[in-house]
Amino acid sequence: MIKLQNVNKYFYKGEPREVHALRDINLTIEDGEFSLFSGPSGCGKTTLLNAIGALDSVDSGHIFLDEREITTLGEDARTSLRLNEMGFIFQAYNLVPVLSVEENIGFIMKLQGFSDAQIKKRVLELASILEIDKLLGSLPNSLSGGQQQRVAVARAVAAKPKIILADEPTANLDSANSKKLMDMMRELNEKEGISILFASHDELIRDSVRRVIKMNDGALI
Amino acid sequence: MYRLLIKMAWKNSFSRLSRTLLLITMIAVSMSMMIGIQGLYDGMANNMLDKNKRSASGDISIFAKEYRVQKDIKYRIKNAELIKKDLEGMAGVKAVVLRVKADGLGATARKSSFASLYGIDLDAEEKFGRFGEFLKEGAISFDNRGALIGLELAKTLKLHVGSKLIFSTQDINGDINSLSLRVNAIVQTTNIPLDSDAIFVDRKKVQRFLGVKDGEVTQIAIMGEEESLENSLKDKYPEYDVKSFLELQPMMQMMQDMMFIFNSITFFIVMSVVFVGILGVMYVSILDRIREFGIMLGIGMHYKYIRLQIFLEAIFVSLSGYISGAVLGAILLVYLRDYGIDLSAFSDALEMWGYESVIHGTIKLSYFTTTFTAIITASILSIVIPLRKIQKINPIDVIKAEK
Repeated sequence: MIKLQNVNKYFYKGEPREVHALRDINLTIEDGEFSLFSGPSGCGKTTLLNAIGALDSVDSGHIFLDEREITTLGEDARTSLRLNEMGFIFQAYNLVPVLSVEENIGFIMKLQGFSDAQIKKRVLELASILEIDKLLGSLPNSLSGGQQQRVAVARAVAAKPKIILADEPTANLDSANSKKLMDMMRELNEKEGISILFASHDELIRDSVRRVIKMNDGALI
Repeated sequence: MYRLLIKMAWKNSFSRLSRTLLLITMIAVSMSMMIGIQGLYDGMANNMLDKNKRSASGDISIFAKEYRVQKDIKYRIKNAELIKKDLEGMAGVKAVVLRVKADGLGATARKSSFASLYGIDLDAEEKFGRFGEFLKEGAISFDNRGALIGLELAKTLKLHVGSKLIFSTQDINGDINSLSLRVNAIVQTTNIPLDSDAIFVDRKKVQRFLGVKDGEVTQIAIMGEEESLENSLKDKYPEYDVKSFLELQPMMQMMQDMMFIFNSITFFIVMSVVFVGILGVMYVSILDRIREFGIMLGIGMHYKYIRLQIFLEAIFVSLSGYISGAVLGAILLVYLRDYGIDLSAFSDALEMWGYESVIHGTIKLSYFTTTFTAIITASILSIVIPLRKIQKINPIDVIKAEK
């Protein structure tokens, strides 16, 4: 469970161009949620997603992952938290270009110290679900955008994190690939019980999720 | 994990193939040139040392006390044959020669010059220092009042093979005597005093000429393991003046030190260039992938693994450069050792300083080990600045920048 209490975040704090990016956010996200932060551009949804993902700091308030406060963690502890508890899916896929699809999917598991056999089993399982089992030996640059994003999803899911944070995952995909990806992510959410949080203004995602958290000017509405 | 890091580092090292190959070529060429220059410098110094030892002092020389100061035949070793026998039975002694020397005047009908008469045994000198290799012109022989003349003395007195000369000096009784000689050969030892002053004649003939007995000489020269032997000889013959090569020729020590300084300067310049090369390529390579590293940090890869990956990349590239450089350098050194560089165009200047006009290189394992250490150190130092850049990355900035 993720709990946010009175979270505030400013950009350019103390400068004339100061922006209040997150305003007194109070929010609880239960385990297994399949939710979307929705709102116009600049409303703070990505900032909120990054704060929950321990990628960005906040200026005041508290964020708890289960009972553990993450806002007070040091850089190393935040890296470990991101490695062990979270999965990330980015708009630009961000796969490691010199590693094969198979190695990219198993990358986080490798960092966590899983054995080769465990990684292999999990990679094959996910590749089959995400229909990329024929591409395991390929390099990311030889794949289409949709295929690359499915590899990125597999990488995020592989180590079974508590929560997956997906920022505009369909922004670079056509509608057919977007729908396919969302169906697969929903299947993973249901099968694996992993919470998945999206930040997007894609209507397809809004129609696919079970909960939509609306935002405007940095506040929940 | 480490296997994966090695794989990533290896693939990244060669992902920009032309850039990496350029760096490897730069390291290889710089290194092989540097090794070649080191080999030549050392070759020049060693050649000079070697010829000085072979033609004059050996590793150790024994003189009568006072001889080196007074240069007078009355300060001579009187039981030289016995000492020689004794020395030849000692461990570590490779060869021993007896020499008699007297300073005097060398003269032809038109020219005269200071000269030193050396009484030597050709067979023993051949075994001691391959004397025959010093031959420049004529034949190494003392037949028919024959003498062998140093190249520069021959020039001064305008002597050729077959020319006649007179050498005059005082004998043991103080009487001035002359020796009529015929030039059988002109020799060049590249030992400056010998080439400019020496007249080599059969030792027994010189002993008779000077009025000293058969077993009496002015110098016993020894080839052997210098350091261990020197002390034992000093203990064994306290009544004589036992001197090592470097004590007799302090200029040679200076020459060795100077070559060491030249080598160090060359080494420093070349390694600085290599360092800047590796730094430039690593820096650009890391800047190219700054987003990739930011994302890796973002998804939970610890900085220490990224640091290790970059370290491995630098090592792979520099090791490839080192291996190529070592192979090229070895080929160059073998060529320089076997064929040398012909600098005959500068032979006058070189010979004036005691160098041969064809310079041969030497091969030492230390060229390769020091270069290895320096290249690995340079590659480690070259990643310090790029790593600091990565350490300062905030993953969120990279992630925001891509949107």
